[in-house]
Amino acid sequence: MALLKGTLDVLVLKALSWGPMHGFEITSWLEERSGGRIDVVDAALIQALHRLEERGLLDADWGVTKNGRRARYYRLTRAGRVRLKEESEALVDHVNALKTILTARSAET
Amino acid sequence: MIRPGVRRLFGLPLRTGEQVRSDADAELDAFLEERIEHLVQRGMTPEAARAEAMRRLGASMDDTRTALRASARRREGRKRIRDVMQEFAADVRFAWRQSAKTPGFTAVAVLTLALSIGANTAIFSVVHRLLLAPLPYPNGNRIVMPKMPFADAERAELLAAWQARTQTVMNIAGASEDMFSLRADGTVDTIPSATISASFLPLLGVRPIVGREFVRAEELPDGQATVAMISQSLWQRAYNGRADILGKTVSLDGRPLTIVGVTPAGLSIPLARTPPPDIWVPARMERASAGGSGSLIGGPTMFALLRPGASAEAASVELQSVVASLPDSAERSAVVRVMRAQDFLTARERRAVQVLFAAVGALLLIACANLANLLLARGWARQREFAIRGALGAGRARIGRQVLTESLSLALTGGVLGVGVAWLALRLIIAMRPPALDHLSDVQLEPTILLWTLGISITTGILFGCAPALLAGAQSTGDVLRRETLGGSTGITARRVRSTLIVMEIAASLVLLTGSGLLVRSFAALQRMPLGFEPRGLVHATVLLGGQKFRDRKVEFRDAIIERLRTLPGVTGVAVGVMPGKAYIGGGLETEADSTGQRANVPLIGTVFISPDYFRVTRIALVEGRLPDPATMTADGKGRALAYSPEVLVNREVARRLWPNRSAIGERVRIPPDLDRGGRVDPWSTVVGVVDDTRMPEVHGDVAAMQVYSLVPPKLGDMPIVVRTNGSGDIAAPMIKRTIASVHPALYVRPTLSGDTYLRDGLAPTRFAMALITSFGVLALVLSAVGLYGVIAYSVTQRRREIGVRVALGAEPSAVVGIVVGDGLRLAGVGVVIGAALAAAATRVLEAMLYGVSPTDPVTFAAVAVVVAAVALVASYVPARRVLRIDPAETLRAD
Repeated sequence: MALLKGTLDVLVLKALSWGPMHGFEITSWLEERSGGRIDVVDAALIQALHRLEERGLLDADWGVTKNGRRARYYRLTRAGRVRLKEESEALVDHVNALKTILTARSAET
Repeated sequence: MIRPGVRRLFGLPLRTGEQVRSDADAELDAFLEERIEHLVQRGMTPEAARAEAMRRLGASMDDTRTALRASARRREGRKRIRDVMQEFAADVRFAWRQSAKTPGFTAVAVLTLALSIGANTAIFSVVHRLLLAPLPYPNGNRIVMPKMPFADAERAELLAAWQARTQTVMNIAGASEDMFSLRADGTVDTIPSATISASFLPLLGVRPIVGREFVRAEELPDGQATVAMISQSLWQRAYNGRADILGKTVSLDGRPLTIVGVTPAGLSIPLARTPPPDIWVPARMERASAGGSGSLIGGPTMFALLRPGASAEAASVELQSVVASLPDSAERSAVVRVMRAQDFLTARERRAVQVLFAAVGALLLIACANLANLLLARGWARQREFAIRGALGAGRARIGRQVLTESLSLALTGGVLGVGVAWLALRLIIAMRPPALDHLSDVQLEPTILLWTLGISITTGILFGCAPALLAGAQSTGDVLRRETLGGSTGITARRVRSTLIVMEIAASLVLLTGSGLLVRSFAALQRMPLGFEPRGLVHATVLLGGQKFRDRKVEFRDAIIERLRTLPGVTGVAVGVMPGKAYIGGGLETEADSTGQRANVPLIGTVFISPDYFRVTRIALVEGRLPDPATMTADGKGRALAYSPEVLVNREVARRLWPNRSAIGERVRIPPDLDRGGRVDPWSTVVGVVDDTRMPEVHGDVAAMQVYSLVPPKLGDMPIVVRTNGSGDIAAPMIKRTIASVHPALYVRPTLSGDTYLRDGLAPTRFAMALITSFGVLALVLSAVGLYGVIAYSVTQRRREIGVRVALGAEPSAVVGIVVGDGLRLAGVGVVIGAALAAAATRVLEAMLYGVSPTDPVTFAAVAVVVAAVALVASYVPARRVLRIDPAETLRAD
């Protein structure tokens, strides 16, 4: 399933609210949590990480993965945490509204 | 994980471009490898896993790499900016904490800055309005004014010739301001008005908000106009802004005019020194002025509109070439010039504004020197702090930047308060403005001005912050810490820098105070200037008796008006005549025999029509002879006013110039015959008396004009009158106007002029310059005194040990006080000498603004030097007394 526009950022923030992760961990986490229903394009994910760091929502530093590789670990900043709360509330509202409309029984049935 | 704050604290370098790129690559590679490994663990072959990883990447490897490098670069750029901002914010917070720790110092610094930046901003708004800003019209920066020494008729001819062949200007227009009586709803009101050529509004780039502009055909000679435009203000005031205003008539000086348009709010003639006109009347360009009696106005002010891209210089050259082709050889040699209307101030006014600007600039420099001094003293006190921070690893640049941030925060705080000071100062300046600078009334603190304030605040902060910043950066850490422990006194350089700053401050204050002293003396001299008449309590008005309706009843009305005015309470005398003091230039005079016994034609003598008691009312002294006898008046003056009066008076200036070695009594004069009148010759009038010269209380009003006083002819159209009141003329003026209007409903009065206003206006330019420069001078002196106080107080603290030793060795404390005060006076002395030398050079620029005192007036120089020295003495003595409180035992033990 392709992602709705603009939801990648909030999903990344949500993933990182569990603790610092590197790029591949984030994408694995998203796949796992969605039961494989969400499929993120890798290039887009890394660019999203750069963009979020640029905006000061994330901080990054080099660390070592469990496989012994050097990788860039990302963590939420305070601003990132605030943004996550706002964005996820808005998104959940939006989805609920869509759900209400789309699941309403039509008059004929 | 290193937080930005931590990175900054340890001064960790940010990534270079090369590193950023390799970081981005490494991140991508690690990601792919993680994924491949993950897939292999799930049982894929390495080849299949790699292929799958590439597929999941979503784009080609190269494209992804390029995109990620770009986003990483963007990210680092943003982070770098954020770090700098955070560092700056930290510096500012630190600066605030520092300032809060030393409230006294902060208050003095901010107040000093607020006053000097405020004064600077206020004067800059004046400079901006008068010298820099374009005129407030759509075509403002293209409006020029041709200046040429020609009479109206020739001027019109020349302008027509110019317009016919010009490449540089598009449009020529004339306008002149006037005052008219407007009658509406049974009340008579004098309103400002203007006569303009039809091309005037298009030239300015202005369109009427209602109705239309004038057309060429409506330009008629004086008094024949049939249409008018009214101002937006009059439209609202007198007609409640009603929509059907066009076609209504308005009665101007008793003349009905049809309203054809309404001009935008506040529209005025460029550079006019009168309020915005309420009525606009069309007139021929050649002679747009109504030129009422006693008027000095020769004709309209001419304006031209430059073509886009054309320069005033090019227009000058072109106009000069038009002049060169004139038929008359005398006219051909005339020098003409086209100047930007924006450059309208006379050289003298421009000079005055520049002097004020320079003065306020000097004040700002003094404030900078003073603050540098204070900061230096504080800088020394904080050397330990800097040294410790240096020892802990802060770079010199970093500490220097911190100190600069502190001074900038002070300067900007001062700047914000300075805007408030400027606002107040501007209200004062506007209230005091001389008539010549009348358009200052609309000066505001507009964005340009505030930008200037910001600019000078930052410059000031850098200027006065520089010395301490350099010092903080340049000190060797080891030296400072060692010196601290040894308790030695601070470097000789420091003392020298501070002494130099003080000398500079005192010198600059002396220059400002000398300028102020010279203006004060000029002002006093102007007030003592013999005017030859008494302006206080004198009111002048002109009653319009011209035209057909009063034809045979002029004398009757004149007598009735004078009678009615005489009975007013507080009025002690009424006479026919104009306000003395102004030169009333006329067509010249012919004398039967001048000093050489020849018949001579003397140009530029004005004739003033009077009734015999004019001299009693104005208090002009009769110095020789007697007053003319009204009984000698002839019934028929053959068309020339002077000819009615066989007996006339002249003023001293005429007597001195025409008959230097003998009495003027008995000499005969007449209006020179000219060709216009077909060679008709007037009869001679005899001089029966000489009266005193009259002057204006102006710096340049000292030259008396040549005047002849002739009895008022019975047929005189508009009648000028003077009224002597025993109170203020300003208060009596409206009552006088009402009384005249009450004599007959058809009577109109031109605006009154009170002698008190007249006197005030004459003194205003000097008062204006004097008040401003004096306040700057006093402020400068106070700042210098504070600076000197600081230096002396500091040196006493510094020299505690030396003083303790001296006292312990038997020196009288009072003698030691003497030594310290001597130090202060030595500084002041050097400052006074340098300042006096500077002042001697600088006050020359004031020359044009001085009256009755030379720019190097020794009395002023001496007095100012004494004042400065006295202030320096006090500023040194007060802190020097601290010496008395030094306990020698304690200071010696302290080591």
